[in-house]
Amino acid sequence: MSNKLDSKIPSGSIDSKWKDHKFKMKLVNPANKRKHSVIIIGTGLAGASAAASMGELGYKVKAFCVHESPRRAHSVAAQGGINAAKNYQNDGDSIYRLFYDTVKGGDFRAREANVYRLAEVSTNIIDQCVAQGVPFARDYGGLLANRSFGGAQVSRTFYARGQTGQQLLIGAYQAMMRQVDLGNVDLKTRREMLDVVVVNGQARGVIVRNLLTGEIEKHEADAVIIASGGYSNVFYLSTNAMACAVTAAWKGHKRGAFFANPCYTQIHPTCLPIHGSNQSKLTLMSESLRNDGRVWVSKTKNDRRHPNEIPDAERDYYLERVYPSFGNLAPRDVASRQAKFRCDEGHSVTPHGEAVFLDFRDAIQRLGEAKIAERYGNLFQMYEKISGENPYKVPMKIYPAPHYTMGGLWVDYNLMSTVPGLFVAGEANFSDHGANRLGASALMQGLADGYFVLPYTIGDYIASNKLEKVTTDHDAFKEAKDATEKEIHKIMNIKGDRTVDSIHKELGRIMWDNCGMSRTEESLKKALQQIPKLKEEFWNNVRVPGAANEINPELEKAGRVADFIELGELMCRDALERDESCGGHFREEHQADGEAVRNDEKFCHVAAWEWNGTSKAQTRHQEELKFENVKLATRSYK
Amino acid sequence: MSDTKKMNLTLRVWRQKGSQQSGSFKEYLAKDVSPDDSFLEMLDQVNEQLISKGEDPIAFDHDCREGICGSCGFMINGNAHGPQKSTTVCQLHMRQFSDGDVLNLEPWRAAAFPVIKDLMVDRSAFDRIIKSGGYISVNTGNAPDGNALPIPKVNADEAFSSAACIGCGACVASCKNASAALFTSAKVTHLLSVPQGQVERERRVLSMVETMDAEGFGACSSTGSCSASCPKDISLVNIAKMNKEYLKAAFNKKPETNLEEGV
Amino acid sequence: MLNFFKSSVGKKYLMGLSGLVWAGFVAGHMAGNMTIFISKEAYNAYGHAIVSNKLLLYGTEGALIWALITHVVCAISLSFSNKKSKGAVHGGSPNGSKGANLGSTWMAIQGSVVLAFVILHLATFKYGTHYETTVDGVVMRDLAKLMIEVFQQPGYIAWYVVSLILLGIHLSHGVRSIFQSFGLLHPAYQPIIRKAAIGYSVVVAGGFLSQPIFVFLMN
Repeated sequence: MSNKLDSKIPSGSIDSKWKDHKFKMKLVNPANKRKHSVIIIGTGLAGASAAASMGELGYKVKAFCVHESPRRAHSVAAQGGINAAKNYQNDGDSIYRLFYDTVKGGDFRAREANVYRLAEVSTNIIDQCVAQGVPFARDYGGLLANRSFGGAQVSRTFYARGQTGQQLLIGAYQAMMRQVDLGNVDLKTRREMLDVVVVNGQARGVIVRNLLTGEIEKHEADAVIIASGGYSNVFYLSTNAMACAVTAAWKGHKRGAFFANPCYTQIHPTCLPIHGSNQSKLTLMSESLRNDGRVWVSKTKNDRRHPNEIPDAERDYYLERVYPSFGNLAPRDVASRQAKFRCDEGHSVTPHGEAVFLDFRDAIQRLGEAKIAERYGNLFQMYEKISGENPYKVPMKIYPAPHYTMGGLWVDYNLMSTVPGLFVAGEANFSDHGANRLGASALMQGLADGYFVLPYTIGDYIASNKLEKVTTDHDAFKEAKDATEKEIHKIMNIKGDRTVDSIHKELGRIMWDNCGMSRTEESLKKALQQIPKLKEEFWNNVRVPGAANEINPELEKAGRVADFIELGELMCRDALERDESCGGHFREEHQADGEAVRNDEKFCHVAAWEWNGTSKAQTRHQEELKFENVKLATRSYK
Repeated sequence: MSDTKKMNLTLRVWRQKGSQQSGSFKEYLAKDVSPDDSFLEMLDQVNEQLISKGEDPIAFDHDCREGICGSCGFMINGNAHGPQKSTTVCQLHMRQFSDGDVLNLEPWRAAAFPVIKDLMVDRSAFDRIIKSGGYISVNTGNAPDGNALPIPKVNADEAFSSAACIGCGACVASCKNASAALFTSAKVTHLLSVPQGQVERERRVLSMVETMDAEGFGACSSTGSCSASCPKDISLVNIAKMNKEYLKAAFNKKPETNLEEGV
Repeated sequence: MLNFFKSSVGKKYLMGLSGLVWAGFVAGHMAGNMTIFISKEAYNAYGHAIVSNKLLLYGTEGALIWALITHVVCAISLSFSNKKSKGAVHGGSPNGSKGANLGSTWMAIQGSVVLAFVILHLATFKYGTHYETTVDGVVMRDLAKLMIEVFQQPGYIAWYVVSLILLGIHLSHGVRSIFQSFGLLHPAYQPIIRKAAIGYSVVVAGGFLSQPIFVFLMN
């Protein structure tokens, strides 16, 4: 227990907090802004939108990404849509309802004030994106169209076919490129952040590796934003892109930023099942498919009949059965768990491995193939390419897969971590989704942080703190650079027998089996014994070919896997300590009829872990969560 | 997801240490490939074996592996992203090939896309084309309500079809002239199809075409290879629209008295 | 403005415009030559009428010379810069469902053959042997005689056949591309434009081909 965590939630009523806070924040004079610099790590939705907005304000921005172009960031893969409390459909939506749905969807483990702000700015995001030319779907009257998404009973999701993330990212990317053209943003691609440099207790720069030359570079700034995404790849097989890693966040953690709720991971229900041992990643298909698709398994165990030959009476539409009011649109954690239960009971629809059906037969009969093609054409096409089966004729086979991580670096209301000057945005922070994220909320949060929150709070930080001039000649930069080079040297010289991927796969297996869709005390303790051994194995037996001073994807992967191993251990510890079920964190010991049972007396708090050095375990701190506007209740979608 | 038989393939892969070195094809055997594996998963296996043997693995760009980030791409027997239409190489599955096939894997060829290593090329020229005008100038916070300006559904759909470009570079790689006309025109057309994009339309097209030429891309010969190999089926009509737009802009544009945009 | 013509897009406009001049000319030329099917006299009278109208003659010649030079200069400049843009390819070109149609990929070669054909054609006919005849009391050049003479040689006819087929292919891609380059391509008209371009090329090339073959067979 400690008081190290000051969430800095402004006082006042929930709907006036952000407004009042914005007014009270200090401003940086327009002429002075160009004297201040900000480093942004990652150029996905959160990073690119922050870079664009800060550049527009006149700050000197340096943006870094591991990709060859910011447009490749994994935000690009989000399909379904983005929520906003516009109430264009006149179906009873409001800022308060979006706020309420998000808090409830997060199983009451999110900070109320942050969520309310998110709901508040959600409407501005849509406006901003429309102004940028993002081609959202529209109806014949020319107005914006909406669809429904899991966990909500209103239609508030804006979308651009099945490529909403791509279109939003390109909007943010273009806005950022405009600032690059104007000289306000210095874009540095193919750079991986390998350390945060802290001077006098403040984050003042980063150490990055140039992925083309291997050069270790030093960059200074007045503030650093980490917007490097989530850590689902700790499971090896996830829907995340291959380069998604915890590395940037983890390096920040090692420099003093607390890591919050690492055990909160989201397993997305509609992904393609695993097809073989060479599989490198899992593919997600938008949850929007559940608008028209019905999920079922055969009532008979190990039923090997062709799905089209199984009559309706012998099908178990289990989501509709268990959750009559939400049906197939039950939230992700709930839908995923139900799929797992069915497969555990022996109702899996594939002989090898695990899968359930997602069937469009009824929707096609009702609406016609053309309408379904218009709504989901690209997803159907993608499914057919991967599986070789035609989903218009045969039900899709789906299974849950790791997809999003609600945990991340702890931040206060201003999105600042426990290291002053180190801000964290988007999926990399822990702030808004509690223990489970609702569909179409990730895009919303990334853009809210980047467009509408950070530009204010960083200004306030810069205006209220005396930031002495620091150059990269400072000892702290030298120390950090040396440490980074030493670590790379160490990895290069292990010269063992095992490839990086083989160790990563092993880690993934441990995590998925023991800290995946459901966890037990026993499984977590088992994982906590296995992971240190794997760590040992990595540092003694990994093989990285090539040299450090050239393009070396294996070296990049090795560094990321080393961090994943450490994170995996922390995840298991966090999951073990949180002796309750909530949202995506399902402890089998705490359930009633397959539903998560929270323990609000003991665990209505954020767990944030403090790094104590390599040889000592992290310390757990708590930030108590107060629910003043939403009544703590058992989440029910029945 | 079927229990189909495994196959063996011969890969002739372009190996090139760096942009300054010369390259050549090297032969590799891909053994016991499952038809359910993706093309990149097949390459992963080859690389795992190379690493185990102490050899340098084949470098190729890739990331999302679901056909949307645009990172991956190389030529397979002369076709960008391989033989299957509307597909990126990460989404191409081995069931498209047969046992015994010999496949030439070559990086994108274009002077504007210098080879970085093996199958990796530098496509930053695309970023510079976007940077030169592929945006709508609207600062954060300036936006009116999203429904303030209705956009006919057809225009919104048209805008989307052009905006669907993933910037992979297959169009340039397939074009005998290494023209970036499809890429550039897709962005010009996207922003032209929405009312918000009208204000800067002349500046945009002039600047983007100028950058496209300056980057060293070739001219469009309307062969249609670009569109045929495009994973997102971007239409040739985009190029026609860009050309018309360019003509209009070149003859209509008023001289700017003050180039300073204001910060 | 100068920038416009220096740009890759501007050059394509020039190619299209100059190509269009020639496309129009060859259609007219082919139609006029059809008079040979009526009679030698009609053919000669038609030729005489054209050369007698100096305004028409020099206007057309001027336009054609401008167009030819523009077309060839642009083509050469584009070919060189395109080659430089592409660099060397080692592993094959797009094929199968991703391949380009042959007509479009070999435009430069077709164009070169057509150019050679035009030069030879001018040397043979415009600047060839000057026979004279009298039609309705008017002395005029007996082009029909020269034509019959020339088209008695099978080798010459073969060269004509090859060149004119290439011209047809060249035109079919060229005419279609004009719509593309000028930005007149509309999704709804795309298939019609393609068919019209092919139809036009078949008529022009076919019409031209019919003439030497007719002359050869009739004599």
